[in-house]
Amino acid sequence: MWSTAREIAAGDTVIVWLASPFPTSSILHQTRDFIQPLVVTPGKDFNSKYGNYRHSDFIGMPFGSKVGSRSGKGFIHLLRPTPELWTMALPHRTQILYIADISFIISYLDIRRGSRVIEAGTGSGSFSHSVARSIGPTGHLWSYEFHEARAQKARDEFTQHKMSDFVTLTHQNVCKDGFNLTDAADSVFLDLPAPWDAVEHAKQALRKDRTTRISCFSPCMEQVLRTVSALNDAGFIDITMYETLIRPHDVAQVPVLQPISDMEEKLKKSEEIREIKRLRQIAAKQKTDESAHGEKRKRDDGDDEQEAEAVDGEDVGSGKKLKTEDDDEMADSTPSRDVVNGSSSSRGPAVAFAPPLQKISVSKAIVEVRGHTSYLTFATLLPPMPGASPPASSEDVAPLDSVST
Amino acid sequence: MSASDLPPQLDTRLQTVQAGSTILLRLPNGDTKAVKIDKDSTVSLGRVGGFHANDLINEPFGRTYDIVDKKLVLVPPRTLAEVEDTDATNELINDGEFVQPLTLEEIQALKQSGAHASEIIKMQIEQHANYSLKTEYSKEKYKKRKEAKFVHCFRSVTFMNHFSDTRKTFTTIEPTLFNVCDYWFNKDQTRIRDIRVDALSQMLNLANIRPGGKYIAVDDASGLVVSGILERMGGSGRLITICSTDSPPSYPVMVNMNFKTETVAPVLSSLNWATAMRDYTPVGPPVDLPSDQIKSERQKSRLNKRRAASDLLNGTREELFAGEFDALIVASDYDPYSILEKLVPYLGGSASIVVQSPYVQILSELHSKLRSMPGYLCPSVTEMWLRRYQVLLGRTHPTMNTSGTGGFLLHAIKVYVV
Repeated sequence: MWSTAREIAAGDTVIVWLASPFPTSSILHQTRDFIQPLVVTPGKDFNSKYGNYRHSDFIGMPFGSKVGSRSGKGFIHLLRPTPELWTMALPHRTQILYIADISFIISYLDIRRGSRVIEAGTGSGSFSHSVARSIGPTGHLWSYEFHEARAQKARDEFTQHKMSDFVTLTHQNVCKDGFNLTDAADSVFLDLPAPWDAVEHAKQALRKDRTTRISCFSPCMEQVLRTVSALNDAGFIDITMYETLIRPHDVAQVPVLQPISDMEEKLKKSEEIREIKRLRQIAAKQKTDESAHGEKRKRDDGDDEQEAEAVDGEDVGSGKKLKTEDDDEMADSTPSRDVVNGSSSSRGPAVAFAPPLQKISVSKAIVEVRGHTSYLTFATLLPPMPGASPPASSEDVAPLDSVST
Repeated sequence: MSASDLPPQLDTRLQTVQAGSTILLRLPNGDTKAVKIDKDSTVSLGRVGGFHANDLINEPFGRTYDIVDKKLVLVPPRTLAEVEDTDATNELINDGEFVQPLTLEEIQALKQSGAHASEIIKMQIEQHANYSLKTEYSKEKYKKRKEAKFVHCFRSVTFMNHFSDTRKTFTTIEPTLFNVCDYWFNKDQTRIRDIRVDALSQMLNLANIRPGGKYIAVDDASGLVVSGILERMGGSGRLITICSTDSPPSYPVMVNMNFKTETVAPVLSSLNWATAMRDYTPVGPPVDLPSDQIKSERQKSRLNKRRAASDLLNGTREELFAGEFDALIVASDYDPYSILEKLVPYLGGSASIVVQSPYVQILSELHSKLRSMPGYLCPSVTEMWLRRYQVLLGRTHPTMNTSGTGGFLLHAIKVYVV
């Protein structure tokens, strides 16, 4: 597949990481704006808002290098492609599968070194790359795509990524025309609008000398039910279905939470100050009233609130000043945005009473997560029973002794 | 390209039951049990009965058998039966009402008279006052519950061994990584650090495990992670594990995988936290003695043995120190940051770092540390979510009970600091 050499060479595919090394969301949820594939071609330039680069400068650098732009402003990281990075970076031609579903399907289908796998349709090739990595050059992937242009693009990609020796791409509608294979594959993966139409073809393509498996990827429950019926009718067993998702977490460092007694002290003190201020203002008002009819003529006792507000406002102001100093301190030790955000949102004016800052790391699931991708339907096909004429009814039993002789 | 044009297929583990295998069996009540298959032995499933091990040897996985007189009789696989829907509801069914006139004593007497479980269940159904009111779904559930119960009853009654006509079935489970992980997760999830199969799958993908790769792993999860890595490497590449014992680590999960020797031996080597350090010097007498000091043949062979062990150890150390590994996978009881400090220097550029923990707090803390370090690109913490469905025609819904956690992962990419 991709280069396994330490250094980047001309013709290699590299993944360019454009974002800051510490983006706010996880690598699995980066947009394609930040992760771009690139084939190193001497003579070509790579231009982005993160600066301008010459491909030829990348040659000889180890994968994982940080590269500064020619102008000195901005930098990028050059990463070695993996199927996971490719999934984030690939040009979308269709809806694609992501790591949660991909990795789960690969495990359930028992895909490993040397496995022979069928996939339909190829789509954007997200799943194909992951399967190719897992089976290695001793395995084989037969991939089918019914859309001609997409098939051609995928074929070009597989060639570019040096997978053609063990990945066969066929432009074919498998629901109509099947897989042209008999007793060949260890597992079948169907990502089709109507997988039930391909179930019998899949059964033919699966080998019968050992246990084989099938997986169907469908977003809708109605599709699942039709698929389950078709699998059941075709003699697949252990039919089961899963949903799997990833919940990325946001991690923040926040100061140790203040005990509520701090607040009690704070409120007492503010009440005292307010009382002093009120008395002072009453005194001042009396003075004004005595001297002349001023603008504040209409005020009465009910206006205490307004005064109190003014007092609080002042106090908050001083609290803010304190906070800013704290923030600078923290920024020195940990240059992290979350620290700043965390502190300004959770720290009240009580900071005046706080002991030296101690921080704790907290995490919560990010605000909006993917809630559904597809239902993963799985089933197993056993080798035919010895001597049994298919399909066996549930009353038939074949003693092992009689068939082994 | 047809299958016949392909090179002969390589298998990392056995495709059929063999003498010496430790295989998983699913019992009628849904439990999974691991049993060792020794040639000419009798396998005892305790309460379900016993059978001759030789009957299973060379059988493919996934088949269901009846035990009849200690012999195995193949049972055809069950397909999903469609349940006829009716208008029945629970409108007229009240809890606690006297509905089952068949008493416990009567049932015991029936059992002792040798009645078959299915006959007893049939009698229970016939005498059940409200059975006909139940929906077809509910009837199915009732029958299932009784069947499972009778298997339990039979287990507790030793004389059941005489009941030659009782159906005592089990199904062999293929030792795929998925099934083995599932078995351990249900058996004792803390021993595998809550690594549910979706988490394990993601770890292996995130770490970019492939045939021919070079990996470092720290596995305090009973060898589940090591098993996954070895399975995906398929006997090609290199895996060095660092463990906290001075003897070679025992990875009990590997027993259930039934790997071939050639899947493990050329790939896996282990160091411990002392021998994995550059400044380690072995304690004990030197292995190279001038020949005039060797007094006996016994001493000579002892020295040779120790020299071989020491050479092997030094070879593995040299390999680790040479670095350029493709990924580091950590599932450890110790402080993950201290582990990364020691091992990340041996990773190549753009290598994956995957750290697993049952607790998000551990990974949040680690994340906070790594965020300030430019050598770790995009550290991110994720949680896994998995839901299984009961798929029965007309009765499809998520399972009522499900696992609450499958652990947490931190992933980062090693980059070079300019």
